[in-house]
Amino acid sequence: MPQPDQAAPDLDEAVGAGLDRLDAPVGPRPASLRRRFVRGFLPPVGALVLLVVVWQILWAAAFWPETSLPAPLDVWNEFAGTVADGSVFGFIWTSVHRAALGFAAGVVLGTPLGVLVAKVRVVRAAIGPLLSGLQSLPSVAWVPAAVIWFGINDGAIYFVVLLGSVPSIANGLVSGIDQIPPILPRVGKVMGAGRLAAARHILLPAALPGFLAGLKQGWAFSWRSLMAAELIARSPSLGVGLGTYLNDGSSYNSMPKVIAAIFLILFVGVAIELAVFRPLERSVLRARGLTGAL
Amino acid sequence: MTTTLPGPAATTSAAVHLDGVQKVFGSGGGAVQALDGVDLTVAPGEFVCLLGASGCGKTTLLNLVAGLDEPSAGQITLTTSRPAVMFQEAALMPWLTATRNVELPLRLAGFGRSERQEKAADLLELVRLAGAGRKRPHELSGGMRQRVALARALAATHRVGGDDEQALLLMDEPFAALDAITRDVLQSELLRVWRSTGTSVLFVTHDVREAVRLGQRVVLLSSRPGRVVHEWQDVPSADPEELAEEITADLREVISTHAAA
Repeated sequence: MPQPDQAAPDLDEAVGAGLDRLDAPVGPRPASLRRRFVRGFLPPVGALVLLVVVWQILWAAAFWPETSLPAPLDVWNEFAGTVADGSVFGFIWTSVHRAALGFAAGVVLGTPLGVLVAKVRVVRAAIGPLLSGLQSLPSVAWVPAAVIWFGINDGAIYFVVLLGSVPSIANGLVSGIDQIPPILPRVGKVMGAGRLAAARHILLPAALPGFLAGLKQGWAFSWRSLMAAELIARSPSLGVGLGTYLNDGSSYNSMPKVIAAIFLILFVGVAIELAVFRPLERSVLRARGLTGAL
Repeated sequence: MTTTLPGPAATTSAAVHLDGVQKVFGSGGGAVQALDGVDLTVAPGEFVCLLGASGCGKTTLLNLVAGLDEPSAGQITLTTSRPAVMFQEAALMPWLTATRNVELPLRLAGFGRSERQEKAADLLELVRLAGAGRKRPHELSGGMRQRVALARALAATHRVGGDDEQALLLMDEPFAALDAITRDVLQSELLRVWRSTGTSVLFVTHDVREAVRLGQRVVLLSSRPGRVVHEWQDVPSADPEELAEEITADLREVISTHAAA
């Protein structure tokens, strides 16, 4: 007699468990270390080698005078010379710590600004368009004003870096918040989250991918603005950064130096992107199942 | 002694009581009357299905009870803890694991860490997802996500200190986006959870068969403005096929009155 009563729930449970097994998405297996190395490391190195080979051929063909297109080896020797006397570490340190400090200040200013623009309608109407506009204004345009206001000193440089990074960071956060599915704040409300708790537990984590994209762009803009500022604002009191080094190359008419400087600027920018922002972004997107681009 | 006790517990035996609830969106000529004088009572532990075609204000009604919106007129009286709500989408936080999602309302309510973990584990066990606690929403199937959402909704009824308070679960077509067999399994899961927790349920649906299968009582709403037009008591003891046909006929009639307008 208890048989039918007993059997039905058991079957239900089995059907449910079967559905869970069948319907749960099966993710791709993570690729092996070797595979990831082959896929991620070899293509860019190959491209670099190809570039140097083409460069060497063009130089050997002597289409342009040596002063316009130096030999790859000359550029390498210039670079090796700065490594040998240790000066390259000085340039990199001067520039990177400036960019990092300026970027940190940009995050401190840009984050609350982004929240304000995203959540307060009047603020958005008032400065939203300005903020987007500032993003497309090359921050090198601020250098003359900064020099007049602050003189040729660190203050001027930080001002330019800040104006370069704050709009990107704030805009990234705004678009991150704008893209939150409206259902999530509603869920927060029915769970009884107050304004502050909702911001802490729902709004900010939900906006994180957009915010990270903004941070990444903010860093790129900081770095770019810093190079522009260092190129233009020169003074012995400022020390020698990568931009100053580049300017020296131009002043001495030394093409190997100019190219070495450009490569160094590129290298630092890419290295920080790969070492800091890529892993951060990857782990955040992975956790949300957004693995398409990575 | 219990009968002489004054206070709300003695004067009302309803988990939620709606009295002449009206809701108007907008104002002036463009105003839309979504609900017009809805009277509805859900008894403690009762499972009520709210049935209606599109635009009958089912979701509006649920939002009012959930406190997401204010009625234009009339009164809503809740004797339960804060109602728990389940939507058509699971709406889980994509950056949290299943366990963390269930813990979130407990965290907002101020529970300590160990108590949170314990309750979340119990609730996941209740919806038969004890093994999936560490998975994130994108690693779960639609049916599993909806069960995590059910566990989270139940968690939202927990209060620090008070434990025996009557809970109310509001469900807004929670299974509408699932495939037929998953929906079938989840309906029986919901009934099982409802029986084992004694929660009152107000379940909104446009699916007559679902309403007949789940509800102890089915309430039919008219459309634009929403009004209670018919009620079927004691649904479980009726013949489901016959009742579904009867309700469908009524629903069709309600919808056909809109053809002229």
